[in-house]
Amino acid sequence: MSDQLSADIVIIGSGICGAMAATHLLKQGASVLILEAGGPIDRGRVVAAFRNSTRKSDWMSPYTCSDIAPHPIYKPTDNGYLVQGGPYPYPAEYIRGVGGTTWHWAAQAWRLVPGDMRIKTLYNLGVDWPMSYEELDPFYQQAEEIWGVSGAENTGSPRSQPFPMEPVTEPYAMRRIRERLAPAFPVVGNTTARNSRAYDGRPACCGNNSCQPICPIDAQYHGGIAIQTAVDAGAQLQVNAVVYRIEHDDKGHIVAVHYFDADKQSHRVTGKTFILAANGIESPKLLLMSASDKYPNGLANSSGMVGRNLMDHPSTSLTFDADEELWLGRGPQSPSSINTMRDGEFRSEHAPYRLDFTNISRVNSATDALITAGVYGAEFEKQLRHRAAFEMSLKDVLEVLPNPENRISLSDQKDKLGLPKPKVNYAIDEYTRKGAARSHKDFARIAEMMGGTNLRYSAEGSFANNQHITGTMSMGIDPKTSVCDSYGRTHDHDNLFICSTGVMPTSATMNSTLTAAALTLRTAQHILPNRIIATEQGRG
Amino acid sequence: MNWNLVSLSALMLLALNVNAADDAQIKRGQYLSTAGDCVACHSVPGGKPFAGGLALPTPIGEIIATNITPSKTAGIGNYSLEQFSDALRKGVRADGQHLYPAMPYTAYAKVSDEDIKDMYAYFMNAVEPVDSPTKATELPFPFNIRLSMAAWNLLFLDNSTFVADTGRDPEWNRGAYLVQGLTHCSTCHTPRNLLMAEVSSKELAGGDVGTWHAPNITSDLNSGIGGWDNAQLVAYLKTGEVRGKAQAAGPMAEAVDHSLQYMNDSDLKAIAVYLKALPAQHNPADSKPVYALGQATDELNSIRGVELPADGDKMTGAQIYDAYCSSCHQAQAQGSFEGALPSLLHNTAVGRSNPANLVMVILEGVKRGADGQDIRMQGFAKTLSDQQVATLATWLTEHYGNPQVKVSAAQVKQTRAGGPVSHLAALAQGAIAAGVIVLILLLVWRARRKRRG
Repeated sequence: MSDQLSADIVIIGSGICGAMAATHLLKQGASVLILEAGGPIDRGRVVAAFRNSTRKSDWMSPYTCSDIAPHPIYKPTDNGYLVQGGPYPYPAEYIRGVGGTTWHWAAQAWRLVPGDMRIKTLYNLGVDWPMSYEELDPFYQQAEEIWGVSGAENTGSPRSQPFPMEPVTEPYAMRRIRERLAPAFPVVGNTTARNSRAYDGRPACCGNNSCQPICPIDAQYHGGIAIQTAVDAGAQLQVNAVVYRIEHDDKGHIVAVHYFDADKQSHRVTGKTFILAANGIESPKLLLMSASDKYPNGLANSSGMVGRNLMDHPSTSLTFDADEELWLGRGPQSPSSINTMRDGEFRSEHAPYRLDFTNISRVNSATDALITAGVYGAEFEKQLRHRAAFEMSLKDVLEVLPNPENRISLSDQKDKLGLPKPKVNYAIDEYTRKGAARSHKDFARIAEMMGGTNLRYSAEGSFANNQHITGTMSMGIDPKTSVCDSYGRTHDHDNLFICSTGVMPTSATMNSTLTAAALTLRTAQHILPNRIIATEQGRG
Repeated sequence: MNWNLVSLSALMLLALNVNAADDAQIKRGQYLSTAGDCVACHSVPGGKPFAGGLALPTPIGEIIATNITPSKTAGIGNYSLEQFSDALRKGVRADGQHLYPAMPYTAYAKVSDEDIKDMYAYFMNAVEPVDSPTKATELPFPFNIRLSMAAWNLLFLDNSTFVADTGRDPEWNRGAYLVQGLTHCSTCHTPRNLLMAEVSSKELAGGDVGTWHAPNITSDLNSGIGGWDNAQLVAYLKTGEVRGKAQAAGPMAEAVDHSLQYMNDSDLKAIAVYLKALPAQHNPADSKPVYALGQATDELNSIRGVELPADGDKMTGAQIYDAYCSSCHQAQAQGSFEGALPSLLHNTAVGRSNPANLVMVILEGVKRGADGQDIRMQGFAKTLSDQQVATLATWLTEHYGNPQVKVSAAQVKQTRAGGPVSHLAALAQGAIAAGVIVLILLLVWRARRKRRG
């Protein structure tokens, strides 16, 4: 292994953001070196591990946890990597490995709604984004074309160009739910990066219904595809490279990063421009770990905001038996939702939300529930059949407001390499709780319209985590209150950029990856604008 | 209406349309040219139709397909009907130079004068001229001497047009005319001798197309298509698939996509009738019909609860199948219940004694449609190692095909590299003097044979 690793652009993290930035920069002629803390991930091995797993609903179970770069694991027991500081738990799940966490997403590729970016102005809450929706629109489009995104037109997110993909066929259960809830609730197809036809060398979805934890045929886009594209375009990828320090010169210019390999040998990597793309928890952790005499509070942290304003989309849910057979589990896992409560004057009172219908087969969860309840034999079979056919479930996806007290910091516990484990402090405020209460009125009405019986609400005051880690390195105009500018350039270091969901200053109501990808493409094109090359053909 | 303008345009049309071909003739010519699948070789993916440029890999080097648009500078715009006919049926260009038999003129030689005229009308009037020339073909000595093809033609070209067999019905004769001529099935499906000529005694008994295998399509029940009924054969030629039997991939998928799907049902049925009447060519390795092998079974008990080996090459066939195949083909390789995701048992790709296509499909997948953009199955060339492909292919033939068939990592490696290396060029160079003697002997033998026949 060379100790003289160097490139024009050094990227920390091989997930969907780092990889998409790499591909753009390589096309402009830059040399790119990507450092990935975890190991390689092979789709087939994940599929095999999933099939072999006894915990089919634990979407982390088929992914190997790196010895030197652990990620949080909660089942069967908590590995204690993400230290919970309270008061409310924030059990984030993410994957440290080549391609990153989107290996096990459901390919939800939502845009913001324009109001999401101006909640301070419109509702006197949170903060405004340092850019407009219109500025982001072309970058959304680019990301959608790379991914092959389809969706409904009426989800509240305007667009100037059509979707590049036609939607996957609406599953039967979703059709019935849409028909039964109309016109009170408009149920529409979700915006997803899922192929309904062969696209960019990947086949169409054939309905395996295991989007999470793994699409077995790459019909949905994910970070593993993004990093393969980057490597094919010439990126140098170093795996098992755990970056533990970012080094600056006396002017605050970044000159190198240092990483440990699997044998804890240290390597120094130099470059001209550095991109931090190691997710919304590991990235601020690294900035804080890189504290120096000049920057005693960590890099990029003159505002004190690194790691703060941690957000997610907490969810509560309702499960019940409809009065007709729906047979969830055919087609993709998360195909449809209601989007009428994403924006409006009510936001000055309570959190906005989306209502998401699951289409995950009920067989596994119903089996678990029945066995736990001690149901066996013929009665078991009868009830399992009934639940698999009739059961349905929906959840709210709630906005969280930025609050500096919700934060990632360095714990005093150490991992195997002696690096600090991250610590999380988190609370769910009234704004979000009131939003949940409001959504429960919709839950009840929907259950009624579906002839629902055996209603099972999630426990009162209990919120599930949706793994949409946002806010910890927020972008903003004012260097005193934000970490980076709208291009992801850190206010404190002119050649250090951040590509991550962590730069989003508010969380809004939608899965955050597409917005992070659009911001990433905007950052990459800011670092190196598109070259006009006559011979260059087609889409990248 | 301005009558003058109309007559003027009519005059111009007449002047342009020097060959005075009528629409019906052009339409017939288009149909025949589609049946001949000219576009498959004479276009590059995404390029203009018939503008040439595709490099065809052959054992003696790459042959570049030429521009056959009616461009007067780069194509065949200056060809007379006779020159067009000679190129198609005698393998001779307008300048008198010989074509290489990558161009299937040995088959097109059977095409009737009438059909050649129609095709000429189509090419000259309805194909868009493209003025960009293609790269020249550069083969190693001695094949760069095109005159060498004259000797080859003397040996292997039968340039008489098709003669109907009056003892057979018109449908058989139509099928024979198409199969032997325009659809040039034998170009791929008939094995070739050392000098790359089709072995006529083994008509359609199966040949190699690069790293793919064009299977036996004679009437043999086990090795060929004897067990297929006419409707199945027509459906296969039209759609590239017959559930429970076979799916077209590779070059056959291209033939369906570019050519066969556009042919009318009566012609396809005639082809089926002719193929089913062909003398059976039996391969003793096929003890049952190649589409009837295998049964639904799994080895899940051997892999559940067992950790995957860290070294992918040590994975068992059952583990590789579980990881990469079973999501679509299902746990027991039975395919999806309605058949849209194919079963691997009762599947010729798995049942055939030659595993080339099984290996190729694992490596490259099944791609259909224009330029192969419709991906029916992904390829695993980048995902699986040579050893993994070999383990998987052998496991598949063992359970769902012919258990005698084994695939080695070395075979897969060779396939990835483009197949066995041909020594034809070296042989020809080294033995050129001996070759001349052999050639003379062959000529004498052929002359005697002709006299006898």
